[in-house]
Amino acid sequence: MDFALIIALMPGVLASALRFATPIAIGAYSGVLCERAAVINIAIEGMMLVAAMVGDLVMLYTGNIWLGVIGGMLASGLLAILHGVLCINFKTDQIISGTVINIFAIGITGFAYRRFLATPTLTRPIPSTLQPIHIPFLAQIPILGDVLFQNRPIVYIMLILTFVLQYVLFKTPWGLRTRAVGEHPLAADTLGIDVYKVRHINVFLGGLVAGLGGVWFSLEQVGHFDMLMTNGKGFIGLAAMIFGKWTPVGSFIAALIFGLPEAIQITMNFYFPHVPYQFLSMIPYVLTMIVLAGVVGQAIPPAADGQPYDKQ
Amino acid sequence: MSRSALVKVITFLIAASILLVACAPAATPAPAKPAAKAMKVGLVTDVGGVNDKSFNQSAWAGVQKAIQDLGVDGKFIESKQVTDYEKNIDQFATEGYDMIITVGFLMGDATAKKAQEYPNIKFAIIDFGYFPAKAGDPDPYKTNLTNVTSLLFSEDQVGYLAGTLAACMSKSGVIGSVSGMEIPPVVRFVVGYQNGAKAVNPDIKALNQYIPSFTDPAKGKEVGLSMIDQGADVIFGVGGNTGNGGLLAAKEKGKMGIGVDVDQYLTYPEVKDALITSAMKNVDVAVFDAIKAAADGSLEAGIRLSNVQNGGIGLAPFHDWDSKISQDCKDKVAAAEKGLKDGSISTGYTP
Repeated sequence: MDFALIIALMPGVLASALRFATPIAIGAYSGVLCERAAVINIAIEGMMLVAAMVGDLVMLYTGNIWLGVIGGMLASGLLAILHGVLCINFKTDQIISGTVINIFAIGITGFAYRRFLATPTLTRPIPSTLQPIHIPFLAQIPILGDVLFQNRPIVYIMLILTFVLQYVLFKTPWGLRTRAVGEHPLAADTLGIDVYKVRHINVFLGGLVAGLGGVWFSLEQVGHFDMLMTNGKGFIGLAAMIFGKWTPVGSFIAALIFGLPEAIQITMNFYFPHVPYQFLSMIPYVLTMIVLAGVVGQAIPPAADGQPYDKQ
Repeated sequence: MSRSALVKVITFLIAASILLVACAPAATPAPAKPAAKAMKVGLVTDVGGVNDKSFNQSAWAGVQKAIQDLGVDGKFIESKQVTDYEKNIDQFATEGYDMIITVGFLMGDATAKKAQEYPNIKFAIIDFGYFPAKAGDPDPYKTNLTNVTSLLFSEDQVGYLAGTLAACMSKSGVIGSVSGMEIPPVVRFVVGYQNGAKAVNPDIKALNQYIPSFTDPAKGKEVGLSMIDQGADVIFGVGGNTGNGGLLAAKEKGKMGIGVDVDQYLTYPEVKDALITSAMKNVDVAVFDAIKAAADGSLEAGIRLSNVQNGGIGLAPFHDWDSKISQDCKDKVAAAEKGLKDGSISTGYTP
C-alpha cells in the first residue's frame, strides 16, 4: 500500500469513521447527561431501539421524515421519564430499571415491527433517509471538506451537540447545578437546589438525545427499521462516556477512537485479506477493557453516581 | 406510590416484556380442507424473524402454503437470541407438535440435542447437514439422529450464476459481496460468486467482507460504500439485514445490486431500481415438500438437497433490468447453468 493510495482512500475511511462514531457519541452524551446528575442509564440501547422503530413508524404514517425524527426522540424521552420516576422517586436499583427497559424495548419493537412495519400498507416517502447537506465553500476543502462538510443532518447535530453540551455542563448555572446534584446532592439541597427536579430534567434530556441516536439508524443510515438494528451501540456509547471521563468532548474523542478501527478494518480487509478481520474488529472492545482497568488514566465517575437521594 | 405498588409496576413491565419477547404467533389462516386430526407443524426462526425479507420469511411461506394446501396446523416462534433456540423447540415439543422445523445453520446444535430428547417428533432443519464434511471427520450426531431431515441448498451453484452475471455486467472490473457471518451457507454463496465471476473475467477483482452479524444493516451499508470507493459496481448482499445494507449502498450510489435467498425485488422494494437479480434458494418449496412428505409418511432422515438440477435454487427474474442486460450476458448465465446441471462446470467449492 503506497502513500498516494492511502491519501486517496483517506477521505472515504475518515467519513465512514465519523458515521460509525455518530450513534456511539450520541449514546455517550445521553449517558453524560444522566450520570452527571447521578442517574445511571444503561437503558440507552433500549431507548435507541424504540426511537429507531417509532421514528420509522411516524415517517410511514405522516410521510414526513423530520416528524419521524421528533417522534422517535419523544418516544425515547417517555422511556427516560419512566426510568427517572423509577430511579429518582422510587429509588429502584438503577441497573434493574435499565435492564427492564432494554428487555421491554426488544419485545415492543419486535412486536410493532411485525404488526406495522414488516408488510406496510403505506409506502415510505422517497428518499426515506435524511439527505446529505453540502455546506457551501467548506465542502470544497480537500479531504477535510469530504470528511466534515458533506454529511447528513444527524452527524452535524452530533458535532454541534458536543460543544453545546460541553459549554452547558461546565460554563452555565444549569451545568453547575447538574454537577452539584451528581457530586454532592445533600450540599446542593442545602443551597436550595431541587435535586429531584434537576435529575428528572437531565434524565429526560438524556432520553431525547438517546432517541436522536436511535433515529440515526432508521432514518439517516438505513431508511427503515430492522429488528435489533442498534447492535449494542448504546452500550458502546456508555463505554465511550467512561473513556471520555464523563465529558462531552472526551466522549466524542472516545467515540472516534471506537469508530476509526471499524472503518479502517473494512478497507484493510481489501488490501490485507490474510489478516483476520476479527483482530481489527476487536480493537474497540480491547480499548474499553484497557480503560476500565484504569490503564489510561483513572476514570472517576461523579461521586453520587447511581445513588438515590432522600429528600431531607 | 408505596413500595408494593412499585413492585407491581415492575412486575407488570417484566411480564409484558416477556410476553412480547417470547412469542406472538401470527393468526393462522383457516385450513382449506380441515383434516380429522391435523398434523401440527412448528417453525422456529433464527434471530432475523419471519419478516426478515429473506430465508426465515421464505420458510414461513412454505409452512403457510402447507396450511392452505395440506390442511396442517402451523405456528411459528421467533428466536430473539441464540439462547432461545432450545426453549423455543421445547415449547413446540411440550405442546404436542408432530413436526418442528428449525431455520438456519446456527440452530444445528440445538436441533440435534432436542431431536435426541424427543425421538417421536420429526425435525427438519434448514442449512445444517449432519454429515462428515470430509471422509473420516467425526460426526457426533450421525449415528443416533433418525428423526432429522436436513434441507440443504447448493448455494455455491446459484452464487456461481450470480457471479457470472455480475462479472458480465461490471464495467469497472471490480465486484463486491457484503456477507454475514462466515458460516457454510454464506461461504458457499461467496465462493461460488467469486469463481463464477472469474470464469467470465479471469482478471476481475472480487472483494468480499464477512460481518459477524445478520442484523447490522448500518455496518453492511458502510462496507458496501467502502467497496464502491474501491471501484466496485456490482454488490452482492449475502447476509440477511446486514447484506441488505450493502444493497442500499449500491442503490444510493447508482450501482448494481444482487439480492439473496428470495426475489428481493419483491421483498425489499426500496432498492429495486438497483437489483439486477437475486440468488434464490427456494426455501419455501423445500419446506413445503418436507411437510408434505412428513404428512404422507415418506419423510426420511438424512439430506434433501435443493440444487440447480432439481430447480430448488436459481436466479430470480431480471425485472426492470431485463432490457438492460445484454443477450451476451444472458447467454453466459444460461451456459453456466447448463454446465452446472450436466456437471461439466464445477463451482470450486470444497467443504
